[in-house]
Amino acid sequence: MTASPSPAAEPLVQLEGVTYKHYGKTAPSLVDVNLSIRRGSFTLLVGPSGSGKSTLCMLLNGIVPHILGGKLEGHVTVDGQDVSKSKVQNLAHSVGMLFQDPEWMFATLQVEDEVAFGPENLRQPPDKIAEQVTQSLEYVGLNGLRKNLVWALSGGQIQKLGLASVLAMQPALIVLDEPTANLDPATTHSVHELILRLRDEGKSIILVTKDLDEFMAQADDLILLDKGRVIAQGTPREVIEQHGASMLDLGVWLPEPTEIGLRLKQRGLLAGRVPITVREAAEAFAPFHFRETATIPQVPPIQGEVLIRAENVRFGYNKKSRALRGVSFELRQGEIVAIVGQNGAGKSTLSKLLVGLLKPSSGDLTLFGRKARQWSVQDLANDIALVFQNPEHQFLTDSVQEELEYSLLAQGIDDPDEVHKRVSAMLKRLEITDAAEGHPFALSAGAKRRLGVATMLVGGRARLLIVDEPTYGQDKRLTESLMDLINLLRREGITVLMITHDMRLVDAHVDRAIVMADGEKIFDGTPTQLFQSPNLVRQASLRTTALRRLVDELRARGRTVPEGLNTVDAFVEALAA
Amino acid sequence: MSEHSLQYIDNGSIFNRMDALSKIVWVILVILVSLQLKTNEARALALAALIVVTFVLARVPLRSFLQSAPIILVMGSLLFFVHLLTAPSTDMIQIGGMEFGKQGFDKGLQYFLRVTTIVLTSFIFVWTTNIRDLMVGLVRIGMPYRFAFTIFMALRFLPIIQQEVDAVKAAHAIRGRAARSPWAHRFRLWQRYLFTVIVNGLRKAENTALAIESRGFGAYPSRTYVKDYRLTFLGVLIVTLFLLLGLGLLLWERGLLAL
Repeated sequence: MTASPSPAAEPLVQLEGVTYKHYGKTAPSLVDVNLSIRRGSFTLLVGPSGSGKSTLCMLLNGIVPHILGGKLEGHVTVDGQDVSKSKVQNLAHSVGMLFQDPEWMFATLQVEDEVAFGPENLRQPPDKIAEQVTQSLEYVGLNGLRKNLVWALSGGQIQKLGLASVLAMQPALIVLDEPTANLDPATTHSVHELILRLRDEGKSIILVTKDLDEFMAQADDLILLDKGRVIAQGTPREVIEQHGASMLDLGVWLPEPTEIGLRLKQRGLLAGRVPITVREAAEAFAPFHFRETATIPQVPPIQGEVLIRAENVRFGYNKKSRALRGVSFELRQGEIVAIVGQNGAGKSTLSKLLVGLLKPSSGDLTLFGRKARQWSVQDLANDIALVFQNPEHQFLTDSVQEELEYSLLAQGIDDPDEVHKRVSAMLKRLEITDAAEGHPFALSAGAKRRLGVATMLVGGRARLLIVDEPTYGQDKRLTESLMDLINLLRREGITVLMITHDMRLVDAHVDRAIVMADGEKIFDGTPTQLFQSPNLVRQASLRTTALRRLVDELRARGRTVPEGLNTVDAFVEALAA
Repeated sequence: MSEHSLQYIDNGSIFNRMDALSKIVWVILVILVSLQLKTNEARALALAALIVVTFVLARVPLRSFLQSAPIILVMGSLLFFVHLLTAPSTDMIQIGGMEFGKQGFDKGLQYFLRVTTIVLTSFIFVWTTNIRDLMVGLVRIGMPYRFAFTIFMALRFLPIIQQEVDAVKAAHAIRGRAARSPWAHRFRLWQRYLFTVIVNGLRKAENTALAIESRGFGAYPSRTYVKDYRLTFLGVLIVTLFLLLGLGLLLWERGLLAL
């Protein structure tokens, strides 16, 4: 059933008094939501973790409540269809949805089959589908790979294939739920460009993302959610002006120039409007004078003992692929190091070598004075802690407390009093005491991540902590809480190695960045040195932060900006002085 | 996405180019013949022929084969040992300095060869078949597409489950060993693998179900297909060839055909 086109004046999406409670939950995920989205508009949906963004997205194509069950009150109309009365399959004519991890969305094995899947379900004629498949694949730049198997695609290609699959169905509304959460910065940028192209062509889009930098000036609407309620809806500028301070308090990721503007405004130092782009920020901050360079605190270089030394380390999963091609580096006690680079550059392989899950094919890898080959994974587990991107994979017991007890027993600490003391201290330290009896799988995303860290550190022996994508699925407040913990650990002498695509995190928190590209180390130095090399940034599929771009823009306008302004705090302090 | 052993390999091999329904007939034929064979010599010949098919006609990379070997061998090996140790025997044979019942050994070998042949045949099917073609083929012979798609999704999930097991295994390895007995530790880990893989597997299956329904799956009683099913000459030829080979083998072991 195809919905008849609605008059242009009629909203594409209309929610009236919508309250929704997930099946088996006591608290509603959406509370008295009233909103309206125009046809042809580009809407950003933001809010802290657990604010109801994904639930709202799933409401638009009927997954909520038709598949997930639960109780829906109020009225939801999309493209003239009453969602509560239309089947999900029929809503597919109107709403195309791209999920955070489209790997799970794939129903077939081959790229072109995948794009054809939706239109085939809608019984479109094969000739027309073949045309749409080619057009959609050309649109996202994957036509050359149409015969490839979907699992042979890179992370960015997978997202683009997901987008092509949505486009081929020609929906009235495209809903994109964090489509770039797993991608390297350059690939993220290329997906963003595709989204902006769709917007320029007048497509109706709802986008959930934490990377707002490129969209604030382009979006027609911004909807702010918290605890299932719509806190604000308006143009990005209106919402920022009226609710910017609340957004900071809620832990919503905002572009750094906007955050600086809001902070200056809170201090009464910015009279005009809050900037939402780098250029606006450069204009707004141009009249300010910066504090002298000498007074900006500089982090002294770390000179601790060498814990890990890799010399010309090579590794291949098979004869054809060389995941690591002669990598050399050192990790010293007490430093925070990031490994960055494009998807598939060899970052995860390197972390698996460090924890002993893989052994080098050649070269020397020395861990705490012993060759890697002499270590077993179990022995290394006492010295190196790895927190996986999905912490659920690590959990072995049925309660949070037992998880920590398991780690202690694994390290030979079995005195009941000692175990109790250490577990209690760790639960308190990571603010998860209330959940001690709960099942690890039932924790919130942030708490799961903290428990992952806790299980690795409770024994008190780990000298190196490896964290895979610390900001994945976390809002700003949860990320800051995790980074506070990491900084605390560093002060206790623990070395921290982060594998990340988050350039803000790299710039703000690490002493050193190791850049990987095609299995080789192409850079090893401070974030400042890294971001000052545009060619290197491009080669490694990275992107400088909006803050760095702002500093460059100010300098291009003749302003003297001191070095070391790598965080919003530092920038605000330097301006405010 | 990483490579896994139990997934479709698109390498243009002869078996790749066979149509899916002919290949299903081939699988059934091989299984039927292996169940009808009466001697271990003939069963060993059938298994050897299948290994030739794996590397020559299906061109399965040795790496994929070796990665899957434990799964292929485990069931047959278990049955071999069960029969070796429990089947009543009158004659005895020496293996590696130990004495076993001859009838138990023969019975065990029979089960090993039979089960390994069946499992390897299924693996060749998975390695060489784009399951979508099978789904369309089944629909064309009258199966409702929702049922055909269920088979498709089950096979589509195999490599994903394998990926999940690998991830959980790696994550558990770095947690260290908490039990004094290595067997207690191992038992606990297996329990946990199962739990985590089932929970995450169900979650992923649910996500996939959400995703495909939101792409219109099941909207209508029928759907269209850009690539329709076509019976291939190669498929018919291979099935005919194996039918003759199977018959030949059955007749040979019964003494009705001299080589």
